Formats: sequence, C-alpha cells, structure tokens
Amino acid sequence: MDYREILKNKQRIVVKIGTSSLSYPNGRMNFHSIEKLAYVLSAVRRQGIQVILVTSGAIGVGAGRLGLTRRPNELAKKQALAAVGQAELMKIYQRFFEEYNQIIAQVLLTKDVVSITSRNQHAKSTLLKLLEMDIIPIINENDTIATYEIEFGDNDTLSAIVASVVNADLLVMLSDIDGLYNADPRTEESAEIIHSVLKITPELEKLASGAGSSFSTGGMITKISAAKICLKCGIDCLITNGSDPAILFDVLAGKEVGTHFVANTENIAHHV
Amino acid sequence: MGKKKQTIVVRIEISTLLGTNGRINNKKVDRLAMVITNLHNSGKHVLVVSSGAIVLGSEKLKLPQIPNEQIDMQATAAVGQAELIRCYQRHFDEYNQIIAQVLLTSDIIDYPKRVENTRNTFNTLLDMSIIPIINENDPVSTSDIEYDDNYPLALIVANIAQADFIVIKMETNGKYLIVPGNNHKAIVVDDETELQERIDSYCQVLVPGDITGDIRFPSSIGEIVFNN
Repeated sequence: MDYREILKNKQRIVVKIGTSSLSYPNGRMNFHSIEKLAYVLSAVRRQGIQVILVTSGAIGVGAGRLGLTRRPNELAKKQALAAVGQAELMKIYQRFFEEYNQIIAQVLLTKDVVSITSRNQHAKSTLLKLLEMDIIPIINENDTIATYEIEFGDNDTLSAIVASVVNADLLVMLSDIDGLYNADPRTEESAEIIHSVLKITPELEKLASGAGSSFSTGGMITKISAAKICLKCGIDCLITNGSDPAILFDVLAGKEVGTHFVANTENIAHHV
Repeated sequence: MGKKKQTIVVRIEISTLLGTNGRINNKKVDRLAMVITNLHNSGKHVLVVSSGAIVLGSEKLKLPQIPNEQIDMQATAAVGQAELIRCYQRHFDEYNQIIAQVLLTSDIIDYPKRVENTRNTFNTLLDMSIIPIINENDPVSTSDIEYDDNYPLALIVANIAQADFIVIKMETNGKYLIVPGNNHKAIVVDDETELQERIDSYCQVLVPGDITGDIRFPSSIGEIVFNN
C-alpha cells in the first residue's frame, strides 16, 4: 500500500518549525526561510487546507535583538529573551504574511492545555474559530509561565498536543534532519531514511535515542514521542527537513520525503 | 531587604489611546511610550499592563464593531495581541527602549510554580533594562473576558513583581492615578510632568526600609482611597 496517498487529502494540518529552520547556525534570523514559510503556508491555506503553525525561535530572536552573541544557559535569562523575542518574532511573521494578505493570530499555550479541561475547551474553541475565519494561528509555548519546551522539547511535544486538541489530520515537523534513519547517517554510509513507520517499536525508539542522534535542541527522541501522541490520536505525523519550507508542497502531494508515521485509523485510542 | 529599585506597574486602558474615530491614535501611544520610558530612565523599574488586543484585532479584521460573543472576542484577541505588541514596539523603538511581551491569565495565582517562573522572568527583564508589556492571555483564558478592565491583572502583576505603586491612566479624563501600596492614599495628577515629580517625591518618602515583604494594594478600583 502506498501510504503517501493518504497525505493528499489532508484538511487540517499543524506545521511545526524548529529553531534550526528559522535561523542560521550563527544564531541570526534566516529571513529568506521565514519568507518562504509564510508563502508556503499562505498558499496551502488558499487551497482550502486549514493550517496552524507551531513556531520556535523566540529566544534566538530575543538574543539577536539584544545583540547577544550566544544563547544564555540560565533559565530565567532564556525566559526573558523569549519574552523579548516573542514580540519580535511575531512582528517578523506579520510582515511576511502580510505580503500574501494572510492574517495571522498569536496563541501562547502551555502543555497543560490537554490536562485542564476548561483550558482545553477555551483554547480549542479559539483555535477552531480562527481556522474558520481563514486565519493562521501561530503558536508557541508561553515561556514566561512554563518552561518545559525551553528545557526539553523545542516545541515538539507542544505541536503534537496542539494537533490532538484541534483534531488535526496531519502534523508536519520541519527540522534540520531529513527523517529517521535506520542507522546513524554520519557514521554509517549505508544509512537510509525510513520512509514509513506503522508502529513505534522499542527498536525504533532505540534507533532514535542512539548516540549522536540529537541533531537539534529537540533531538529525535522528542520527535518520536510527539509522533507517538499523534498515532495514539489517529493523526498522521511526518518528520522532514525544513531548510526549504516548500517541501510542504511535496508532502501534501504524497511524494516520498521524510519519515511518515502512519496513523492506523482502524485502531484509534479515543482521545481528548 | 536590600536596596530594591522602586517598582511601578502602569496600567493602560486601550480607550485612553484611541482617537475620536475609535481607532488607535499613534500620537497618544507615542506620548505614552515616552512617559513610560522616561519613568524607566529616571531609575525605576516599570511594568506595563495593557488592554487593547480586542480593539486592535477588530481593526485588523475590519470588523464593523467590537465583537461581544466570548468566542469571537477570544479569536479577535489572538489576532490583536500580535498587533498590539507590534504597535507598542514601534513607539518604544523611537525612544530606544526594548520591550517584552508577557501574556498571563488571572488564574496564575493558583499555580505557585508559574508565579515563581513569572517573577523570575520579570526580575530578569527589569535587570536587563527591558520593559515588560503584560496582557491578559484572552485566547486561552478560562474566565469571561472583561473588555477593557484589567485592574485585576494589574493587581496580580503588582503582587508578582512586588511593586510599590500602581499607576493608572484614567479613561474619563486622561489624568493619572497613583496608587501606592500599604494603605497610603492615592492621588490624581494632571499630567506626565506631575506624575514624574510625584513619583520621585513618593520614592523619597517610601524608602526601601519602609517596605517589608509583601505590599498590599486595594483589591478593586472602588476600594482605592483618594487623598484629594
């Protein structure tokens, strides 16, 4: 069976973009990449597909705004930079999305959006309302009050939670890796991308947690747990390289890029 | 308690920044950015609590009027939050002042860890000479949105930041209301110059030694006791 066929008919997608896809290795903003992302998402939205963007990058932007040359290690400093950078980052997104006449909204969430029912309902209804209004919500962790994603996930977990809250049918995680490999691509020449994953087995998790596989802040492990959340909710999940955001067109055309975690729609655990 | 900088929470109602056409008046925002930056430059720690996301969201979405359904207000606020901070950013930039965006919901007081996180963020921002601009996080708020009434949020921020004053720019006459903590009487001042003077003189009276630990503020606007 060609699992990629399923990706051609997605109606509500969550796209997560990592810090590494928004900035250069020296920490500076990659405007070219952000502009392209705004174009791609606006174009996808115009096809009638509902889009939510989960973005990282606030700390890096904050550091740039303050002229710091390196990211601080201290948590409170990171939080402060995130608060400065969040405002700046939204301004940048606004500017680029305006080019395509696309209205965006800012929603800052914490992970407990799933566990606290009333909060879940409010966040969910706000997001659905925004989608109905053809607006692209741009989501980030509210780093001032919660620090989970700063410390661990680079928003990987948050993006899966968002996908489950709005009943999305696809989560695409754009990062600096092409997908999940069957061996460490930097040491093993024969390493190949695993294009389809039907079940997340312990062996697979071991592959992801193996030495040298933490390519970005989030690393492969948090991506696999995000994929797990998705599969549990019957949501397809795809990990691919976001250095050119136009790859999203390929994903939605069913082309074989990245690693596709295939949702088993016959066996969906009932979710929130 | 060591030598703590005097800390001021300035509460802005968006209605004080609108022109007669109901739209944002950039001249007023610019003036406000100047006054707040100046307070900060005079050596105080300043935090700003502002409403306005729904008004700016409505403008952005070209809505004929402010929505009154809860869900529409939340969606409009999500659009407007980004616009509001962008608007402040533009004007504070003129005075070379860096700002930060902080979104809180009023139930934060039920989560000690979040209060601690937020206090840490505030302190770090203030130490870095950055002015935090705080809004109610309406899109995820679980309480009813109270359009344009953010005194409760200002109070929460004042408690978290252990502020010495809350300054309110008043909707009715554009004057400033200075509310000191710990039952000192509130005063109304006519303009920015007087605001700066009164705060300076207050600061000399309320020496840091005067303030031990928690500072209490009136729990609602109605409870504020005036001096004149």
